[in-house]
Amino acid sequence: MIEVKKVSKKYGRKKILDGVSFTANKGEVTCLIGINGVGKTTTLKAIMGLTPYKGEILINGQTMTKDSYEKITFIPDAPTMLPQMTVKQAMVFMKDFYHSWNQERALQLLEFFKLKEESRISELSKGNTAKLNLMLGLSLDVDYVLMDEPFSGIDIFSREQIANVFASHLIEDRGVIITTHEIGDIEHLIDKVILLDNGTVLKEFNTEEMREEEGKSVVDVMREVYQA
Amino acid sequence: MMRYLKLVNFEINRFSKIYLTLLLITLLSQFAGVLIVTKSLLNDAKEIMLEEKLSEVAYLSEYGGIDFTHIANTLWFLGPIALSAVALIFYIFLIWYRDWFGKNTFIYRLLMLPTSRLSIYLSKATAIFLMVLGLIAWQMILLPLENALFHSSVPEAFLNMEMSTSSIAAANGILMLIIPSTFTQFLLSYGIGLMVMSILFTAIMFERSFRMKGILLGLLYGGVAAALFLTPVFIMASEIFHFYSNELFGLLLTLGIIVTGLSIWLGSWLLKNRVTV
Amino acid sequence: MNVNTREPVYLQVVRHFKEQIAIGTLVAGQEIPSRRELAATLNINPNTAQKAYKEMEEQGLIHTERNFPSQITTNETVLQAVRQELILEAVESFVDAIRPINVPVDELLRVVKQKYSEEIREEEGK
Repeated sequence: MIEVKKVSKKYGRKKILDGVSFTANKGEVTCLIGINGVGKTTTLKAIMGLTPYKGEILINGQTMTKDSYEKITFIPDAPTMLPQMTVKQAMVFMKDFYHSWNQERALQLLEFFKLKEESRISELSKGNTAKLNLMLGLSLDVDYVLMDEPFSGIDIFSREQIANVFASHLIEDRGVIITTHEIGDIEHLIDKVILLDNGTVLKEFNTEEMREEEGKSVVDVMREVYQA
Repeated sequence: MMRYLKLVNFEINRFSKIYLTLLLITLLSQFAGVLIVTKSLLNDAKEIMLEEKLSEVAYLSEYGGIDFTHIANTLWFLGPIALSAVALIFYIFLIWYRDWFGKNTFIYRLLMLPTSRLSIYLSKATAIFLMVLGLIAWQMILLPLENALFHSSVPEAFLNMEMSTSSIAAANGILMLIIPSTFTQFLLSYGIGLMVMSILFTAIMFERSFRMKGILLGLLYGGVAAALFLTPVFIMASEIFHFYSNELFGLLLTLGIIVTGLSIWLGSWLLKNRVTV
Repeated sequence: MNVNTREPVYLQVVRHFKEQIAIGTLVAGQEIPSRRELAATLNINPNTAQKAYKEMEEQGLIHTERNFPSQITTNETVLQAVRQELILEAVESFVDAIRPINVPVDELLRVVKQKYSEEIREEEGK
């Protein structure tokens, strides 16, 4: 379980996060939604130890250490490998540095996304860059995968393909935290929703419970919460 | 440890194209310098002999012959050394900032490696230091070859003296700095170099942690570190106390180690706890 | 399967199975895919697939023996009931929709009969 407890963060005088608390379970897809851009990415960065913050974040009950990067990974909204590398070189890099690299799954994902090992990263389309990012992150045998806006700015077919990953064995029983504003692509695939606004959590709910008890879709709840 | 070495290797590879270009420029420019400068010096001598109707012996006693110091002081020779120095100083900054502002944000990957932030910090420092040593080694390989070429292209009568590689290095201020003749000088040159690099790295970490405010903190830190290191020199200059040269050296060495250690500790602490991607 | 985002997805999966049982695509004793395979084919969350299977177990539609793939039940009573349930459900919602128009039963049945046979003919013609 990932526990985010009263996490606050300021950039200068601007409060980005103001006492954010929520939990995300292993084996579930948790979706961080916020209609104003701020806060979602910062939350993921805070979990990953990529930015300082006030408050506490626990991963399986422990604070982040260097070894945690074998257990939790982050797939940002931007390419993380050098542009001059080929896909293959990026894979070798990962294999070199992570014990948790799973070459077999990497090859499955390569096939799934129809990426070519010899492609140069600088020459990949935006959709393929996102897929490469996802492929590198998901090839680690980690407990948790954090994804920042995996659907933004890419074509509909790539979006569909990426959404299919959530339903496939390629995710296995990992915990996933995803930020997105294009909820439509994955609404039926997520277990839990955290609605953020102005750096605070407005609502946290389980999607199936919400459908069963109130007959509301995620978009219905968003409309209620954000337009109130 | 393995990951640290892999990172060092990785960092060197990333700079290898520019680095090899620097080595090549040094080779070409210095060899071209030897040939071109020697030829022009000999031509000048011939012209003067012709104009003033001097015999070779008379010319030599009047104007003297030539030696390698004539070469070593030209732009052909010192230019590539300066270029390499500037490139590596520039790279001290680039090695960090390219990870944030490059076409792809590699810093995400780098800081998510399952290795300590200290290793990441040290791998970059090591890469630069190794590249500096590599350039020096290259210069030490080139120098005797250039010297030999020089000898073979100057008529014996015009040669002032045959200089050894070490005497060439000792006769030129800049070469003396990069190819020290004593261990003490080596410690001074490279120790100060390492210390300055660690201070710059730490200033960069301040900037990456606190942005605009960080620039001020970085400058402040640089000033404090320099002041700390130079304390014995200030004490001597103000004539409060006099140190013998070996005492001064010992003090500077100790303070240098302290300042370097402090910078590395502070820099890697900032990288671990305060830096924002 | 087209997912309706306002209805629990697991119940939609259960209905999907019931439809297949009713039309005979799934027969008594037939093995069904693992929850992961099902998630991938229907493009749903594996947890949802798991929950759907649990619900179907509870309703007696499938049964699982330890370490074997789950199977459609061989209990004919249950299977027949599924068909009845679907018919009743569909008719209920049809009645709900037609009730406000206040059509006499005879006319309604005539129109339904005509429309229904047309549909079947069209489908067979394809």
